[in-house]
Amino acid sequence: MAIGEERYQSELITRVIEKGICVNCGACVGLCPYFAYFDGRVAVMDRCGAGTGRCLQVCPRAAYTQIMREEAKGLEGRDLSLGFYSQVLTARAKDKYLHEEAQYGGVVTALVCLGLEKGLFKGAVLTDRGGELSPGGALAVTPFAVKSCAGSRYSASGSLSILNKAIKDENDGIAVVGLPCQMEALERMQRSVPDGGDRASKVAIRIGLFCTWALDYRKLRDFLYKNGVKGIVRKYDIPPPPAEKFVVLTEEGQKEFPLGEIRVFVQKGCYLCRDMTAEWADISVGTMEGTAGWNTVLVRTERGKDFLDDAFKEGILEKGNLPDENLKHLIVASRNKRERGKKAESDMLRDSE
Amino acid sequence: MLQNLIITGVGGQGNVLASQILGRAAVLSGLKVTIGETFGLSQRGGSVMSHVRISDKRNYGPLIPPNMADVILGLEPLETLRIIQEYGSETCSYIVNSRPIYPLNSIAGEMEYPDPEWIKMVVSSSGGKLYWLDATRHAIALGGPIMLNMIMLGALCSLPGFPVSISQIQAILARVFPETKLEANHRALATGSEMIAGNAN
Amino acid sequence: MKEIFERSGGSELLLQGNEAIARGALESGVRFCAGYPGNPSSEIIETLAEAAKEIPVYAEWSINEKVALEAAAAASFAGLRAIVSMKQNGVNVVSDFLTNLSLSGTGGGLVLVTCDDPGGISSTNEEDARLFAKLADVPLLEPSTPQEALEMTKWAFELSEQIKNIVILRSVSRLSHTRANTLIGDLPDYGGGAFFDTKSPFHTFPVLTKHLERHKKLDSAMILSERSAFNRYDGPDWPELLVIASGSCWNYVTEAVELLDLSSKVGVLKLGMTWPLPCNLLRKHLARAGRILFAEELDAFVEESVKALTADLGSEVGIKNFYGRGSGHIPICGELSPGLILGVLGDLFSKVWKAEIFREKIRTFIPQPVPPREFGFCAGCPHRGSFYAIKAALAWDGRNGFVSGDIGCYSMGIWPTGFNQVKSVHAMGSGVGLASGYGKLGQFGFDQPVITVCGDSTFFHAAIPALINARFNDSDILLLILDNSATAMTGFQPHPGTGSNAMGHKVEPVDIESVCRSLGVYVEVGDPYDLNVTACAIYRLMGMAGPRVLILRRKCALVQGRQGGFPYTMMVAREKCLGEECGCGRYCTKIFRCPGLIWDAAEKKALIDEVICVGCGICSEACPRGAIVRMEKRKD
Repeated sequence: MAIGEERYQSELITRVIEKGICVNCGACVGLCPYFAYFDGRVAVMDRCGAGTGRCLQVCPRAAYTQIMREEAKGLEGRDLSLGFYSQVLTARAKDKYLHEEAQYGGVVTALVCLGLEKGLFKGAVLTDRGGELSPGGALAVTPFAVKSCAGSRYSASGSLSILNKAIKDENDGIAVVGLPCQMEALERMQRSVPDGGDRASKVAIRIGLFCTWALDYRKLRDFLYKNGVKGIVRKYDIPPPPAEKFVVLTEEGQKEFPLGEIRVFVQKGCYLCRDMTAEWADISVGTMEGTAGWNTVLVRTERGKDFLDDAFKEGILEKGNLPDENLKHLIVASRNKRERGKKAESDMLRDSE
Repeated sequence: MLQNLIITGVGGQGNVLASQILGRAAVLSGLKVTIGETFGLSQRGGSVMSHVRISDKRNYGPLIPPNMADVILGLEPLETLRIIQEYGSETCSYIVNSRPIYPLNSIAGEMEYPDPEWIKMVVSSSGGKLYWLDATRHAIALGGPIMLNMIMLGALCSLPGFPVSISQIQAILARVFPETKLEANHRALATGSEMIAGNAN
Repeated sequence: MKEIFERSGGSELLLQGNEAIARGALESGVRFCAGYPGNPSSEIIETLAEAAKEIPVYAEWSINEKVALEAAAAASFAGLRAIVSMKQNGVNVVSDFLTNLSLSGTGGGLVLVTCDDPGGISSTNEEDARLFAKLADVPLLEPSTPQEALEMTKWAFELSEQIKNIVILRSVSRLSHTRANTLIGDLPDYGGGAFFDTKSPFHTFPVLTKHLERHKKLDSAMILSERSAFNRYDGPDWPELLVIASGSCWNYVTEAVELLDLSSKVGVLKLGMTWPLPCNLLRKHLARAGRILFAEELDAFVEESVKALTADLGSEVGIKNFYGRGSGHIPICGELSPGLILGVLGDLFSKVWKAEIFREKIRTFIPQPVPPREFGFCAGCPHRGSFYAIKAALAWDGRNGFVSGDIGCYSMGIWPTGFNQVKSVHAMGSGVGLASGYGKLGQFGFDQPVITVCGDSTFFHAAIPALINARFNDSDILLLILDNSATAMTGFQPHPGTGSNAMGHKVEPVDIESVCRSLGVYVEVGDPYDLNVTACAIYRLMGMAGPRVLILRRKCALVQGRQGGFPYTMMVAREKCLGEECGCGRYCTKIFRCPGLIWDAAEKKALIDEVICVGCGICSEACPRGAIVRMEKRKD
């Protein structure tokens, strides 16, 4: 369907919001008053009859058009389970403090701090820790602020709404750290009309995070509350298999729950996802399985490579090699997610017919 | 003698006060007056219509029968258009303030506010004499939109043959308003009167 | 002194129907006046309260209509004349006391005035409160003009004392809000104190005896009615058509007969007392006409009673053709009008009303109906802010929540001006009662959040028992009290929270917050102009259990306008305004919908209408681009 034949916001509402497959990335929020991100969810505030449908064009779940990476063209025969990448390696931050506060190797936190300190970008869109309400986006402009956002939330945060707001407020040079769906949203933004290219040019670098799913924060909060977790959560963790548990660290101590009890809070839209490793990022970062305290890193673009090289040169990161066994395992996991996503989508389409 | 007058407009334009002042002035000069006030759910912003019936014989009922208005004093163009079919006639005179007050549904673009020039054409073609006055602008110049009703009363009482005079209105104003406000209201009445004199289309 | 309070009569004033009722009460020596505001009745107590500044009468705005009648009945029991006024809905509220009071009987003359609103011009319903007269077996008077309203009020007091029971005087919007020349009489000398004679108690026992007495009183009223000049006939001795008319409709009938030149064929029997009916008078006129038309509002009240009487009279009056609601000649709902009566009489006598040619001509100019003027909150109205915040909180929540509404300006929350948030509106206080019920539906799988709203005056009127019910039964309700410090809908009458009473005396205000706290209900207070903060507060409160109250406090914009006005001059920065573009899509004019913000179709930008905008400034928070700018007003 071509742009212009769509009914814009109402199309997005029918295709995504009403189907319950919104992944709360926040890409449609902050462009206008008709959407808001609040307490873990993207909400339709009012019905808009006008516009160019920027909200629809950027949505990673509206499946408006299939998009493909320029670099991957001609490589159709190769295994692209991890998306296009030029380099795979392992890394960890040299600052040991970051291993505690951040997730595993602390690579993302270290990179963002470096970028800010060196002026490679002026601010970074991250996910904060939340408080009374859910985690949400934050525009961090100091390393201190970056560190206060370190660590995984395992929930959606709508943080792209903060990017939209930052662009509206005429900010330039913004790093974005986000989930695979958010990296795809950024790519869709780049390709959107009428002003996507211009808006995307404000993004200095995209740092993607590996993701198998994200939780519905409100459901998680209710569950934790009913199970005695009442204070503010300092850190969440899902240790590598075969642990099968969800660890919550609060001021009062640590609590563990069987992962199975948590999985029911996975966002419906996450089951449609085919991208585990954030293939639309410049650099993708995830947990290195089997070796504690290290991250797996995929370098996908020139921009990403330059940034990472600089970090090694500055000596803030240590570099390692990803054993073939791990790479194979990552590829299989990523391929499985693609397959599951495809199947879930065809199931959904069949059900809706 | 029976003079059937409708004052139509929007809540907040001073419609009810204008009809009361006019009515009291008529009673003071020994006439029989009946005023039917219609105002709806909202204090402001809704359609407001007063039927004023002035006679030297008896008090008529509060509602003017269909198509029997002699004068329609329209404080707002759309509200004037709204009642022409129900109350207007070949001989009805119209004094209409040209400044629209836009209804919310028109502000929102859900319906189109008719072009005031078209409203003017319809009213003037309906048969009676039309005085199309830029009264709100004059009201603002005289101290605020609130002066509109006095300008329109001044215009009304200057219609040839209208049974209530401006000096009779002034006698009532002296009882209604404090001394400090009288001069501005007298100026408004005079402004309306001048507009009728200079507007003979 | 205002002319309407002149001690000596003889002058002719331009009085509104309600003012005429008040003057009639004063001329009757009324001492005690009570009521609850409601269009179209409010001016009665307003006038009497103003009179109280100069004349030794007492007037109050009571907490609700039932309390008003109870308070007035006390004065009656103590031998004083008393009047109580309300709109049709109020009669529903008083009905429990009324049907008992009419068994016990009264002392000093006691008159209940109901001002019905056929057409629901300013009401949530249209209702014929005359049926309560029949239910309670009490006399019912229906004046047609302000002059008659004055005189019938006086008659009502006399009648009440003659039969020792309450009398209902029934007005309609069209009379209450009609002004006409009214000849006033003298005010009496005030003497005599209040005394309750303990030897003559007022109660309903033994019930059957009292019920029988009540009917005997009604019979005496009928005898008095037969001789009354308020029931009168105009027309030929043997008319082709008899019109039985009452109330405002009588005006339309007499004028229609004149306009159609039917005075030699049509007779008009005007009934001033419509319950009990003057049977002998009717017997005489029924015998002389074969065709009978009923002109009354709102139900077929007289019509059905006359039909029953005709059946009882049988061959004495013969078979009749009745025209009215039963036959379909008169619509079963809505107000009557001269045009409608002209149409019916025209049909019955095959006369064509002359306006068709003119109307046809206008139809060629205006083929479509003229667009309606949508109801909306005033510029600066705090309710716009409240509903905007409610809309945001419910959208954030996303569980298909809704608002249980109540009676006041904020009932307009059912329309776009309140963002269509209100999904039910019924009677005073019912929104809270409904919410109390919704709050217990969780055990049946109900998980939609419900917010209930009521105004400050409504809170005192009937919401408090429902709130206590919620507290007692531990119901999860969130009540937003939209406290605009006025009974705004009906014309800014004082209430227990405002700090002054009907007569303008200062009183210690009843603090809504303390009332709620004393019930053990969690209470917060917010400012509806602070859109985002209020929305966040509502969202947070929605997440809590048990009964909760959020008081959103801001003066009614019309009151604020009189008490110093608003701080800002507003302006749209044209270069920032996105207009129809993506990112805005005319958000302020399409969604926010303030009458002071209009659309400049030529420039395709928003525009402040300086005639309407008051300068509250809240739209600047709603604009996504910060294009609506507020500037401090210059102090001149």
